[in-house]
Amino acid sequence: MKVAIINGSPKLRESASQLLAEAVQKKLGNQTECAICSPIGPEGSEILKKIEGANALVFVFPLYIDGLPSHLLRFLDESLQDISDKASGAMVYSIVNNGFFEGRQNAVAFEIMRNFADKAGLKWGQGIGVGGGGMLRSVGIGRGPLKKVGNTLDLLSKNIINARSAQNYTVDPDFPRALYIAVAHLSWRASARKNKVNSKQMLVKP
Amino acid sequence: MSSKTRLILHDLRPGDAAAVLPAQSEECLLFAAYPAVRYCVGCYGCWTKTPGKCVIRDRGADMAGMMPKCGEFIILSRLVFGGLSPDIKAVMDRSIGFVLPFFRIVKGEMHHVPRVEHPPDLRYVFYGADMTEREKETAKALAKANSINLASGRSEIQFFPTFRDCKEVLK
Ligand SMILES: Cc1cc2nc3c(=O)[nH]c(=O)nc-3n(C[C@H](O)[C@H](O)[C@H](O)COP(=O)(O)O)c2cc1C
Repeated sequence: MKVAIINGSPKLRESASQLLAEAVQKKLGNQTECAICSPIGPEGSEILKKIEGANALVFVFPLYIDGLPSHLLRFLDESLQDISDKASGAMVYSIVNNGFFEGRQNAVAFEIMRNFADKAGLKWGQGIGVGGGGMLRSVGIGRGPLKKVGNTLDLLSKNIINARSAQNYTVDPDFPRALYIAVAHLSWRASARKNKVNSKQMLVKP
Repeated sequence: MSSKTRLILHDLRPGDAAAVLPAQSEECLLFAAYPAVRYCVGCYGCWTKTPGKCVIRDRGADMAGMMPKCGEFIILSRLVFGGLSPDIKAVMDRSIGFVLPFFRIVKGEMHHVPRVEHPPDLRYVFYGADMTEREKETAKALAKANSINLASGRSEIQFFPTFRDCKEVLK
């Protein structure tokens, strides 16, 4: 069985999406031939080769304004026919992570991916929404407050291996939302300060 | 510019735009998403380096500053998988400096604090042949979610089979 995992974050390796992609790759690793690729970056032009003959396409991307990052959307739109030819009969899964706390805010992106699958003549498998994306890189998947995220990826991996469709599923960190917000506010201010932008300047109006 | 000003972000080719859109004026600003602007790289410089403006230097950086100056923000887009077209989405992703990085709770969910006092009303005008019902439902859900995220008071959505059919509603 061949699985192509497509990292749809423009941040490539430095992204929460990459962590999620690697976690799934590890879970599928010994049972499938499974590579991670991206439509951009040094190997961007190779992506169609990488998805050729895949039985499952797993798109892993960050939520951008309730939808897909534009470079990923462009790839799906412009290469629709190629994807449909090269991965004909494949199942389409999506793991979407977002900055807001609630994983359910990824629901519209699942629908967009499902409409893509329909247009490409591929079969929709499942959407997984992971909220609190800000914690993924700092805490690590499957650990402490992100234990449920790890469990969710286990279930997804089983569905991928069995070529099963399942209900979309979303998960939030086991962590107080108010605290998540407080930490995020501190870290925005700290990043700005590093760029010599103070708290008042952050609020500037156009 | 006043709250009567309309801003139309569209993905039409130049000749088609001239045939369909009103002339650019003080009451009606136009922004062409084609040819495509560069895509957002997720750096958050628009929040922490040059607040309110994207750090990538092409015309895609101008949109976030134009949005607050209009009363109505109209997006004319080809419907792609039930959402915005890649050209439009590239402009929108580059424009999140329009809101602040800080968060608030709206209807029980986390969202951004608006940067400006009076964010514009939103109107989505989608065109495309053979739209499915499913795609239309997706677009409606997207418009609703975006209007909360962009803190706009109202959002409207319309569908047409071709961009030429949109002319009347853009007058
Ligand atoms: C242009 C842009 C738009 C975004 N829009 C949303 C959004 O609508 N909702 C949300 O919860 N997070 C949004 N985010 C936050 C990202 O989804 C979040 O930071 C994610 O964890 C990034 O994942 P990555 O590291 O894989 O790129 C947005 C980020 C950017 C840069």
